[in-house]
Amino acid sequence: MISTVEKKYDDMLSSSFIYKVTFSDNKLMFVPHNEENRHYQEILEWVANGGTIVDNGE
Amino acid sequence: MPLNTIPNKGLTSRGYSSDRIVTPLIINGDMSVAQRSTSASSVSSSGYHALDRFRFGFTDTDQLVATISQDTDVPSGQGFSNSMKFLVTTVETALDADDALQIQYRMEGQNLQNLKYGTSNAESLTLSFWVKSSVTGTYALTFKNSDDGGTKLNVNTYSISSANTWEKKIITISGDTATNIDNTNENKLEVLWALSAGSNYKGTSSSGWTSYSASKLFNGQTADIATTSSANFYLTGVQLEVGEFDSTTIPSFPFESFESNLRKCQRYYENLTANGSLNIGHAYNTTQARTYFQYRTKKRAAPTITLATAGNGDGEISFLTKGGAYVGTIGTHTALNVAIDRFNISVNSGTYSSTGWVAGDAVFFYVNGNNYVVWEADAEL
Repeated sequence: MISTVEKKYDDMLSSSFIYKVTFSDNKLMFVPHNEENRHYQEILEWVANGGTIVDNGE
Repeated sequence: MPLNTIPNKGLTSRGYSSDRIVTPLIINGDMSVAQRSTSASSVSSSGYHALDRFRFGFTDTDQLVATISQDTDVPSGQGFSNSMKFLVTTVETALDADDALQIQYRMEGQNLQNLKYGTSNAESLTLSFWVKSSVTGTYALTFKNSDDGGTKLNVNTYSISSANTWEKKIITISGDTATNIDNTNENKLEVLWALSAGSNYKGTSSSGWTSYSASKLFNGQTADIATTSSANFYLTGVQLEVGEFDSTTIPSFPFESFESNLRKCQRYYENLTANGSLNIGHAYNTTQARTYFQYRTKKRAAPTITLATAGNGDGEISFLTKGGAYVGTIGTHTALNVAIDRFNISVNSGTYSSTGWVAGDAVFFYVNGNNYVVWEADAEL
């Protein structure tokens, strides 16, 4: 189960970012913005259920 | 010509009458590849835990804990070396209506267009597998087509009549002439082996391909692995053939070399195990560095990356100085620019240290110790 999602930008290529996802068992994953990725689909579901992605900007 | 068919005279020994080699629709059906782990203990949630390509679904279970492992218990004289074993270590105290436990095998739609679903020429499929369990009874075996226009099910059952005895099961289903399989790289056809099913997933019978309803999903399931103390369930020799076959006509199992099997599995998952210095990166200022990895096999889709913990303990990763020393602050590591063929690992130590980097330095990317998993790339369905 997802606990937190943070959008992380690339310092060298600011248009590029990834989602840093922490799960309830403290497992950490880096998930690309790609609808074919099943973990990204989990993020979308988590957001639909009220989760908020932390975005501290580039 | 079907996509999984290659003309090749002289190589028809699997039992097909025509001159063709058929690429297996099921990858790792002999349970030979277990990249993540050969034994995953304390499993209580859905996911890919041990054997490649075979997923376990824990639906709303509360207490259930299991060990999933690659085992050497196999049916005698069939040529298999491994099976997948599911062992209950903490029992589910009661099977609630919404509880279910299942093995899931998911296939990409683009690999199934030769089935011609949604046309009058839709092909039948025959699933064959070897199974053994301590729990006898009736088990549901369901095919699920996740078409964008609506999910379809084809629900079947089989019996395990003798406890702790290998049995070969063969199930044939007709092709679905009404609904196609979407031509994508996503999960479009799934085979589900129910191990336990609460009442929400039973009660409505169906025949052939039918529109999805939860109460149809595992109709007929009576066996209950989840609530049975120390119950086990073994599976191997999973093959899916195009056409209708029975126990006398089913083609022999499509054994492949381990290397071929592994490479196919790596389209969906791979990891890197390393010792010590494993790559060269560069520092682009005094606090930041990065390196680049290319997968052995292109992925189905941009994968999820998991990294080892950053630090200087056993199995931990870090960027070293160009002289091979730890920097003052090891920093936070991030996977970036993840694509189907490569990704970066970037570090931001946040704090300049006199034992750190100078912009332009070549730096070591390092794991402390031997045979630790440095990263995993997961593009599973």
